[in-house]
Amino acid sequence: MKRLPFTRLLLPALAVLLLTASGAFAQQDMTHVPTEAFKKLTRPPAAFAHDTHNEKAGLAECTACHHGEKDGKRDPSSDTAGIPCSDCHAVAAKPGKTSLERAFHRQCMGCHLTQKKGPVTCGDCHKPAAK
Amino acid sequence: MHALYDLAVGPLAWLAFAVFILGSIYRLMSMRALALKKDAAFVAYISWPHAIRSLIHWVTPFGALGWRENPGVTIVTFLFHICLFVVPLFLMGHIVLFDTFHGWSWPALPDGVADTLSIVVVLACAYFLWRRLSVPEVRFVTRSHDWLVLALVGATFLTGVLAYHRIGDNLFMTTLHVLCGEAMLVAIPFTRLSHMLFGFFSRGYIASEFGSVRFAKDW
Repeated sequence: MKRLPFTRLLLPALAVLLLTASGAFAQQDMTHVPTEAFKKLTRPPAAFAHDTHNEKAGLAECTACHHGEKDGKRDPSSDTAGIPCSDCHAVAAKPGKTSLERAFHRQCMGCHLTQKKGPVTCGDCHKPAAK
Repeated sequence: MHALYDLAVGPLAWLAFAVFILGSIYRLMSMRALALKKDAAFVAYISWPHAIRSLIHWVTPFGALGWRENPGVTIVTFLFHICLFVVPLFLMGHIVLFDTFHGWSWPALPDGVADTLSIVVVLACAYFLWRRLSVPEVRFVTRSHDWLVLALVGATFLTGVLAYHRIGDNLFMTTLHVLCGEAMLVAIPFTRLSHMLFGFFSRGYIASEFGSVRFAKDW
């Protein structure tokens, strides 16, 4: 039973770690489209409050945005919520693949144009952070 | 406004490019036919070596006597024309639209550089406006077409700069910018902007006469 103190310490430590980690990925905290994958940003990150947006847009299905891929095409039937966009959409995409920047632009601007709602110009999404 | 923006970046953009390209081909072909009909004897004497030698002088800043006479106009003219071509072709916002809708992408100028060069175009337009109003010999040869093309270019770049700096309603300013740019493209074959198509030929024509007939430089 000499190892017990370790276990006693390790478990709460793990719990704390998991809680902070899940907190960091919580959608309600999201204010901008995640840009971590880009080495260098040329414009301010596009404003996007995940939950507020979906409430306003009446989006209940995660797959409306978090789509999968089948035979090189967008597959709306598979749910990829929780997987970072950049896992599939590389910043420098290979031919035939959609780059991360293009994926973001198509996802946001494309839907806003079809729905005739939401920002569509450069400056309406890429705004400097409010002071 | 949303619907107008959609129209401007979609069908109207295709229409503008089509009118610009087909209109330019039509104007070049009909001008060639006119030259052959009215001035066939001269067309036969067009000399490529003289034309090219003259063009090299005229595309070099201060490379021709005409450029040395008015240094201020020369500097503004060269800056204006270089920026006028480089900025729209290598602007990130434009490339992003082609990339988003068609997957075509090419290297872009840094935003800050493109912004500065666009402001140079706006200032050059203001200078040309001042010249047309205040310099008597320029005012004398100014016709309504000149005001139109100056306004088209000036408005396109001014709205572009304002949209980039997010001055005014961004959707309104961007839509206005796209529409002005399309009007400018459509105007190229049919207004004095057609010097983009004919300028090199006019120079080649004059250079041939000076070189082969008068044995003189035209620069």
